[in-house]
Amino acid sequence: MEQNNKPVKYDLTFAREIYSLENGSYIKQCMQCGMCAISCATREIMDYSPRQLFNLIKLGKKDEVLQANTMWHCTSCCTCKARCPRGVPLVDVMHDLKKYAIENGYADYPQAAFYKAFWSEVAGRGKVFEGGVTGRYYLIRGLDEVKKAMDMKDVGINMLKHGRLPLLPPKKVKGMGNLKKIIRKAQELQRKEAR
Amino acid sequence: MEKKIAVYICTGCGIGDALDVDALSNVALKEYKADICKTDAFLCGKDGVAVIKNDIENEGVNTVVVAGCSSRVNADVFNFGPNVIVERANLREQVIWCHPADDEDTQMLAEDYIRMALVKQKNMNLPEPYQVENLSKTIMVVGGGFTGLTAALESAKAGYRTVLVEKEDKLGGYVGKMYKQVPLKPPFTDLEENCIPGLVKAVEEAGVKVYTSATIAKTAGGPGMFDVTINQNGGTVEERVGAIVLATGARPYDASKLAHLGFGQYENVITQSAFEEMVAAGNMEAGKVAFIQCAGSRDQEHLPYCSAACCVESIKQALYVKEKNPEANVYVYYKDIRSNGQYEHFYKKAQQAGVIFIKGDVTAITESDGQLAIEADDKTMGTTSEADEFDLVVLANGMVPTAAFGEMIEEEAEEEAAAAADEPKVVGPTIIKSNMLNLEYRQGPELPELKYGFPDSHYICFPYETRRTGIYAAGVVRAPMDMLSAMEDAAGAALKAVQCVEATAKGEAVHPRSGDMSFPEFNMNRCTQCKRCTEECPFGAINEDEKANPLPNPTRCRRCGTCMGACPERIISFKNYSVPMIGNMVKAIEVPEELDEKPRILVFACENDAMPALDMAGINRLQYNPWVRIIPVRCLGSLNLVWINDAMAKGFDGVLLMGCKHGDDYQCHFMKGSELAEIRLSKISETLNRLGLESERVRATTVNIMDYDKIPAMLDEFAEELEELGPNPMKDFQ
Repeated sequence: MEQNNKPVKYDLTFAREIYSLENGSYIKQCMQCGMCAISCATREIMDYSPRQLFNLIKLGKKDEVLQANTMWHCTSCCTCKARCPRGVPLVDVMHDLKKYAIENGYADYPQAAFYKAFWSEVAGRGKVFEGGVTGRYYLIRGLDEVKKAMDMKDVGINMLKHGRLPLLPPKKVKGMGNLKKIIRKAQELQRKEAR
Repeated sequence: MEKKIAVYICTGCGIGDALDVDALSNVALKEYKADICKTDAFLCGKDGVAVIKNDIENEGVNTVVVAGCSSRVNADVFNFGPNVIVERANLREQVIWCHPADDEDTQMLAEDYIRMALVKQKNMNLPEPYQVENLSKTIMVVGGGFTGLTAALESAKAGYRTVLVEKEDKLGGYVGKMYKQVPLKPPFTDLEENCIPGLVKAVEEAGVKVYTSATIAKTAGGPGMFDVTINQNGGTVEERVGAIVLATGARPYDASKLAHLGFGQYENVITQSAFEEMVAAGNMEAGKVAFIQCAGSRDQEHLPYCSAACCVESIKQALYVKEKNPEANVYVYYKDIRSNGQYEHFYKKAQQAGVIFIKGDVTAITESDGQLAIEADDKTMGTTSEADEFDLVVLANGMVPTAAFGEMIEEEAEEEAAAAADEPKVVGPTIIKSNMLNLEYRQGPELPELKYGFPDSHYICFPYETRRTGIYAAGVVRAPMDMLSAMEDAAGAALKAVQCVEATAKGEAVHPRSGDMSFPEFNMNRCTQCKRCTEECPFGAINEDEKANPLPNPTRCRRCGTCMGACPERIISFKNYSVPMIGNMVKAIEVPEELDEKPRILVFACENDAMPALDMAGINRLQYNPWVRIIPVRCLGSLNLVWINDAMAKGFDGVLLMGCKHGDDYQCHFMKGSELAEIRLSKISETLNRLGLESERVRATTVNIMDYDKIPAMLDEFAEELEELGPNPMKDFQ
């Protein structure tokens, strides 16, 4: 955790916003025991452990929370969720925080770009086209990233040779209209459950 | 009583295979002239017991020695009613299970245990229970708060006449003034209506005799016969009661000492009880409130202990604020939230309601424009944190037991003499004149405190038991606790009081020697009025009469025998436990001559922890030194120094005392026994040296029941050291 030793101030405005997310109110239940942190496989590379992130929310540290890489490094392995003595569904909370960060323009992390690329691919086609996801990802990340992509070309060529990376996009699924309806319904439900 | 002695040797559990049973029978029949000696392969079985019963009925046997397993097992099987003396020789746990089979030393050990058992029963009589004249089974509850009312209700419901004494003009105490109370029933998440009005009604309906605006001027007598003088409205009332439940509660810690948290400085820094009054009166308008936990508690400069209830109470009060205005900002600054047991649900509920819990020590409270700001050392964030614009700051100021208020009793003048002689002296328990019971006890007018003014005696092994028999402390006067625990405490103490009056009516001891009908008898002709018994009795059982003679109160007695060990004239004895009895047991042990190179070590083991530990060593088949002979004592406090003389004169090479841990976190069942034994021991070391005996030959050690695995090493080590010292020079003077 970054230590700046500046006094922190408790301000509940931001916390109330987070609590209103679909699973946000569970954060209130956190008792800072640290079980999530010791259970987490990627804790070492996180800026803040989930527990600290939750306390930052209480402290009203909007920037620190939304710029943190914590939720982006969550692999959704569910260990913390299974172990949390207070029954906080951490994985779901992390999903909510990711969504909230993207919606509020805090999506600086490559993972965020990947999520977006993956989602538009699935939503637009009903299937995933690797080339499409990659292309969209680099478009979101900016042209500097393309240079990095060139370093990966050997991997790409190998995948092509083994038939793991189709050159042409697949056909869309049948009944795209129905898929869109399903997605709309799901989003509606999500909004309803959020308080 | 003419004794007809029968010895029964059980050969089951491998005893018959490991020992020469015929030789054991010879010891009983030829050496000790027992009337009957039988062996059985399964003595605790139906047939075995039938053999004994038959002999009792048809042969007139009235004294039975069962040589087999430990007295700690099958006590019910070998109970032949109140008219038959039963003594057990432990051939299983302490002989064959911890010594090699078919061995000369093991056989000698077994024979010695038979001798000891036979000598013991020879020196023993059937106890005659002490009967109280005009016994009262009334239970008096002191204090009419939540705990007191619950205790009174429990005892009245159990069918006992109950008297309740309350110093205020109204029942209810601290809880009675509350707006709402913490949950006492599942799911433990919701604020509950105050239960006091209902409880008061139930207590009245149950027929409890209630004295309000009343104090206790004097409590004389003992269990079953307490004569209590109650002062009420200028007049006095006399009540004879059997047992007392002390539920006088606690008082909030003096907040004026909490100036560092702004109390007294800022008007809006208030205490928990003031907040409670404010809410009850409907004057609470604050929109942003902070609760500061451990205000005084867990603080070496104030109350070193955790007051246990304040976390739950603050959570409750935080919910008051949220109940009134769900949008209110409520902060709780804490060291650790100690919402024990079911109250974890209550804590979670408060979190869900949006109360913010901040783990940190408050460093400063400041005020500007009537609003307060708090600065704290934030433990979860590792930095300081600030919060401001508080309308109200509530200090959870902890509790101090009512027993802790008053003048401390000064140690008596004799101290100087003892200090001058540079002798270690037992420091008596601290008694604070809190003016609650005003006991007519030689050792002081109130209950001795355990720590911080709480009059408990041993909270793990025997809660509610104070150091005064028949007086049981319950609720926050006993230890800091929340309401749920206080409710349990009230019921527990009430049942203890019921047990006490019932046992006293039968002439039996209460805890921990429950059912023991013996009591100390004094041969006053030889008393030198040295006062040791009156001073050393851990339970204040012995008063003094006008002529300075000891005046025993048998119903107050717990039968530990500390007085018996203390008496230099050896005038105190029980029907079934006495100085000559143990002395003769020591003398009955055969000590081989020096040339045989078979040393002997005598162990006096406390029945409560050391004996079970020794048995457990046997159960776990741990082998230990075969020179050891173990004599159980009721408590090491009953150790009379003459036994050491006897052992040394008999030619024992060493004596080991195994007692419980003493000192601050003592484990002695009789509070002071093992400590007293060590002090007595220190006094004879000089005498031993003068006689040319090394004082290292006699030593004391503490054994906990869990130390059974260390016992072999403990005994072997002692044996080795004794070997270095060489044999007891007194052996030759036999």
